[in-house]
Amino acid sequence: MSRPEAQERFEALLSQHKKILWKVANAYCKSVADRPDLVQEIAVQLWRSFPRYDERLRFSTWTYRIALNVAISFHRSEARRARHTVPAEESLLEIAADPPASVDPDLETLHRFIAELEPLDRALVLLYLDGNPYDTIAQVLGISETNVGTKIGRIKQRLRRQAAASADKERI
Amino acid sequence: MELDDLKKSWQVEDRALDSNLRWRPLGRYAATLRRSDSTARRLLRGLAIEVVVSAVATVLLGSFLASHVGEPRFFLPALLLDLAAIFQLAIGVRHLVAARRRDDAEPVVAAQKRLEALRVERLRATKWTLILAPLLWTPLLIVGLEGLWGVDAWAVFPPLYLAANALFGLAAIPAGLYLARRLESRLDRSPFLRSLARDLAGRNLAAAIESLAALTEFERDAAVAG
Repeated sequence: MSRPEAQERFEALLSQHKKILWKVANAYCKSVADRPDLVQEIAVQLWRSFPRYDERLRFSTWTYRIALNVAISFHRSEARRARHTVPAEESLLEIAADPPASVDPDLETLHRFIAELEPLDRALVLLYLDGNPYDTIAQVLGISETNVGTKIGRIKQRLRRQAAASADKERI
Repeated sequence: MELDDLKKSWQVEDRALDSNLRWRPLGRYAATLRRSDSTARRLLRGLAIEVVVSAVATVLLGSFLASHVGEPRFFLPALLLDLAAIFQLAIGVRHLVAARRRDDAEPVVAAQKRLEALRVERLRATKWTLILAPLLWTPLLIVGLEGLWGVDAWAVFPPLYLAANALFGLAAIPAGLYLARRLESRLDRSPFLRSLARDLAGRNLAAAIESLAALTEFERDAAVAG
């Protein structure tokens, strides 16, 4: 495949799965200003890794792996904190429509909960919320399906405990 | 509050993204993406620079050793420095090879364990380099003066001065460790100095070891973990 053909194919595949980049960047960025940089880093790594893409793996699974690995490294990298190299208006991904006037409070609660999780638990929840079956989650993360089930169960319990604690605080 | 109930809100947002999320055609950006920097590239670049610097130091010190074979007062300090440079070079090459093996398409836990294991090794090497560096001050002074300006430090400085410098270097080790532990939390204005203090005090290493243990724990099957 020639380079222009490869690029065209890559763009077509990535366009179908652009939400993965957006959601991963959203989950791992401490501020909205960091998001364009992380989206670009993920896109760069996907592009560089594309020649080695093994078609036995679903493209979405491959994209999740790379996006999560880049995002977790980005999240941990102290050197990144002060530097923004990609202006928001040049981001590879952007929201075309204006945000809704009122934000769903449940969604806000969910995003706050996700932000408090450790990086790998965050990945687990992201994959789960996106409707991925346990075997896909296990394949992306490299753990067993049993482990996936147990960990999701624990995260659900944690959310219930947090919600109960918040409700108790409000009553007092 | 149930995660599965919140999943519905998540899916509403997901459907909205289908129509609202716009992807800029890569064509315009392909060249930029190829040149783009990334966390991985910065790490590789840093490691490559370390290897080059260590290699140059090794060669220069090797040359100095060859030209001072019959002069133990220069040969021995230079030998100590060259051994340190060779050690740094070996570590640098090992880390560079490990970093180049990075594959972000690997399953996430395995990829993160590999990166964290490399980070633990690098922090351990950095910690011991910082701790032992004061011991090299006096040999560096002797070799530097002779190598750069042809000045014999043994003739210029009294032996007591050189001995005092060597002892000062030895004393600087516990003093440096103490100061690093005490001052680390007060160096907020300088991220670089703070990071250096945390490296010297071993706090970054302890955090990385803990992180690696957490990754290993995450990977363990729930049934095995009990």
